[in-house]
Amino acid sequence: MSAFYANYTPSQRARIVRSIQMMVLPRTANMSNMITTETGEKMVYRRYASLYFIVGLPDGANELLALEEIHLFVEVLDQYFGNVCELDIIFNFHRAYAVLFEVIMGGHIVEGSKKEAIEQITKQDVLIEEVNAANSGQRRDHSNEENGLSYTMQMQLGRRPTKQINHTLSF
Amino acid sequence: RGLQNFISDLRNAKSKTDESNRVAKELANIRAKFTNSQSLSSYQKKKYVWKLVYIFMLGYDVNFGHAEVVSLVGSAKYSEKQVGYVAMSLLLKAGDSMMNLVINSIRNDLVGSYDDAATSLALVSIANVSGIELMNALHVEVQRVLVSPNATPAVRKKAALCLLRLIRQLPDSIASKEFAEHIATLLQDRHLGVLTSTMSLLIGMASKHEMEYQTMIPYAIHILSSLVLKRACGADYLYYRTPSPWLQIKLLRFLQYYPDLMSSGQTYVPTLKQILARILNDTDVSDSINKSNADHAILFEAISTIVVFGDNGDVELQNAAMRLLGKFISVREPNIRYLGLMTMSRLATLHNASNKEQIKTYQSTVVVSLKDADISVRRRALDLLFVMCDSTNAESIVDELITYLVAADAGIREQMVLKIAVLAEKYALSKKWYVDTILKLISISGDQVSDSIWHRVIVIVTNNPEGDLQQYVAQTMFDVCSSKTAHPKAVAVGSYVLGEFGFLIAEEAGKSGDVQFKVLHQHWAVVDSATQGIMLTAFAKMSNLYAELQPVIGPIFMKLKTSVDIELQQRSNEYRILATLGPDVMEDILREMPAFDTEKVSTLEIALEQEHTETHDKNIFSKKKFENGDGGSAAPPARMVGNHAANRPPGPPPTEEPEPDLLGGFDEPEIAAVVPPPAPAPGSSHKAAVGISEDQIPAMRTSFAKLCGSPQGVLFQDPHVQVGVKSEYRGSQGRVQLFVGNVRVSFSTGLASHSYPLRLPVVATKFAEPLVVNKEAFMGRWTQLAGKEAQEIVATGIPGSPARMQSVVALLASLNLGRCPEVDNAASASGCGTYKTGAKDGQGKNISVGMLVRIEANGDKFRVTARTMHQTVSTGVKNVIVAALKTI
Repeated sequence: MSAFYANYTPSQRARIVRSIQMMVLPRTANMSNMITTETGEKMVYRRYASLYFIVGLPDGANELLALEEIHLFVEVLDQYFGNVCELDIIFNFHRAYAVLFEVIMGGHIVEGSKKEAIEQITKQDVLIEEVNAANSGQRRDHSNEENGLSYTMQMQLGRRPTKQINHTLSF
Repeated sequence: RGLQNFISDLRNAKSKTDESNRVAKELANIRAKFTNSQSLSSYQKKKYVWKLVYIFMLGYDVNFGHAEVVSLVGSAKYSEKQVGYVAMSLLLKAGDSMMNLVINSIRNDLVGSYDDAATSLALVSIANVSGIELMNALHVEVQRVLVSPNATPAVRKKAALCLLRLIRQLPDSIASKEFAEHIATLLQDRHLGVLTSTMSLLIGMASKHEMEYQTMIPYAIHILSSLVLKRACGADYLYYRTPSPWLQIKLLRFLQYYPDLMSSGQTYVPTLKQILARILNDTDVSDSINKSNADHAILFEAISTIVVFGDNGDVELQNAAMRLLGKFISVREPNIRYLGLMTMSRLATLHNASNKEQIKTYQSTVVVSLKDADISVRRRALDLLFVMCDSTNAESIVDELITYLVAADAGIREQMVLKIAVLAEKYALSKKWYVDTILKLISISGDQVSDSIWHRVIVIVTNNPEGDLQQYVAQTMFDVCSSKTAHPKAVAVGSYVLGEFGFLIAEEAGKSGDVQFKVLHQHWAVVDSATQGIMLTAFAKMSNLYAELQPVIGPIFMKLKTSVDIELQQRSNEYRILATLGPDVMEDILREMPAFDTEKVSTLEIALEQEHTETHDKNIFSKKKFENGDGGSAAPPARMVGNHAANRPPGPPPTEEPEPDLLGGFDEPEIAAVVPPPAPAPGSSHKAAVGISEDQIPAMRTSFAKLCGSPQGVLFQDPHVQVGVKSEYRGSQGRVQLFVGNVRVSFSTGLASHSYPLRLPVVATKFAEPLVVNKEAFMGRWTQLAGKEAQEIVATGIPGSPARMQSVVALLASLNLGRCPEVDNAASASGCGTYKTGAKDGQGKNISVGMLVRIEANGDKFRVTARTMHQTVSTGVKNVIVAALKTI
């Protein structure tokens, strides 16, 4: 899953995602969460179990804050899906995007408040009851697979890594 | 439902091919469904669009379905609209043809609707896609939403961010003055979400026109003080107990656009100081990583602000920041250490004396990070060491870096080598230490040592003849090259140094000329041809110094005279012939090189500043004085060749003329001899070059003018040489051949270099194609172009006659101009042609410029008038004709 805030062709996007993967995946937990590439692009990433959240930053952006922006997004996802897991995001990618767009818009954080963001998203969902109704059963199934554990908890249990998720902001 | 199954299917795909087969099948299915989309239910439509989005996310090309996305956006049902907008944000990008179709729907949602949700969706999508079409079409509406009194906070904050995206693309779409007032109103909003996004917008605006938003500073400081000093913040906006870190950081960031703030004497300065001091003093590591990150994010932003305030800022704050960073660079937490190192490099640029001392105490701490497992940390540590280096600690830092270089990985080596080289030169206490350092670099990491680094060594050694530096270096290089495994770059340096300064050690036991030769020659087979070239020059110098080597070196040149490498071939031939010209010539040409011009700033530092540019382009040797001969090719040996090429006795003199500026040149109708002769070749004792003598100039003018109208002829002739020109033109392209011949069978020039700056007869009319037109067309155009004419009256001193007019007509024809017979009479001639340029117009076609000329005779005078679309062309054509008229 990725979002770009500058114009790239699909092949450029694929190349960017690939090169980011190559840089981020070999890094170990005791390394910093910040990378500056040879060509000067800055990236900040955060890992939640098998999920990587990666953002590209413009020059001069605050790296630690970007880390917390990622966390805010994850918290909102977590609260919205109720103990979010990877499968929630995969099978409900459209709703994950809706959350992303509510938290981060055009590469900028919209809200510093988790509560406000959740309120906005649920308000939207009320308007789409039909979609909601169709989905709720499905969602619970996958939560069961994961024993209803949140990512943070799964991470502590050393749970299965499957696929990573990339989320790239404003290069 | 279908979407979930589809995703499951793809996840269960056994291989990549399996997956792409499934995707291809589904794409075909969706395409079929969409072709008669009337029959699709709302549910189906949404489902297929989601599938497309999913396929797109997996990295497949999705090049249809845009129309369905557009129709969903325009739907009256919110659920459809939502799908449409999200899909649009992902699938569509600026420049897609569908973009124009969707604009109207978006506009309706922005202004026509009383529905917050739809407005929000529209704003979010505009910001995410931010195509120029959307921006152009909708920026007015977005501004209206932002300042509308009825907008809810949720809509307002989105409108602010949307507008920010917009002004990034169209910076001038907003009138700053009036807009500042709107921002001021927004900054008084109590909703922190609105404040946060307004600050984002304000930062975007201030980055373009900071003066216009100066009045916002008090607001920003006010908000900041209530967040930092009073901790006034609603519970929703506490992020792990920290009052909205986002807003705090944006406020600080905004203040960074006003670096003179601290010394402005405004009433808010003490408050600002208090705020910064509070952030510096009260930030602490906490047990929650999130709180700790958020707090340190604010802290680092505050330090950045202090750095931006610079030397006008508060010294105590600077010192406090330095002390904090000193702590950070020794913590284990990698993020804080990384940022600490980075921020300390910035803080170190301030001229704060106590900080400068303080920072030196951290040297050993930084060195620890240089060995960190994390490349990000290593890079920052390297940067910091580089900044904290001065003449007191350079030796220890450079030694430290060199020790580490042995173990460093490829990712960082090149940068390290460059930085070490710069530090070693900049802060060297002794030149010997500098040379040793670079030699160490070559032996440890020769592949990363760019040519400019070792060229620099040679410049410095050559320019410091005092003391025993040159002898020392010759000695060292002799020792280095004695090893069979010496690095090729070391051999290059060794070849140059022994060729130049080998004689200084030749008296010592075991280092005589022939031993030196053997030491170098053993590397011949393994070095590249550039180094071989340097070696050849060294050999030539050696054979001049040590007669016993001539029988050995002569055959080497002999063998290479048929080398496939053109440079080696040329050098060996030249040096071979040189040996036959007698000892005096050889002595003079092969003597030591004179001192180089040194530039104040080492080019290495320039290279470092432009970190990612290729360093070898910026060669230290490419200076103007080598234009002579090889035309400024770069390395030191080329310079030596240049040196003697200019002296080359009976060879063709270099005819040189800078790239002819076809039109511009004509503003200066003078031909030749206006170019000063090139500076004397460096290093030789001889006088200024022999060139064109004054009395040849009139003859040159005539031959130049003649050649303007003819494809071949003699351009220049003096007692020694003759230069002929032959040219061919087609459209915008031309080929010019030069023939240089000796007038005399033999002559000796002594030691004078000859230089003949000649202008080639490449003029505007050479690129013309003749046109014959009728009177109407000619006069019509003539009047149209009245504003762009060039005119000159030429006195020839020969009375006019019909026969003379005939030769004028012939002249015009020779200049590739057609004519318009109907407007000509006994006293006037016309010319008409098209000037074909190689320049491209908007459609990529070559631009052609129509040219019209009239020549009117009056007694012995001609009035020449040229009219074209471009003034420069008019002047150019006029000048050619004027020059040519003087010859008939």
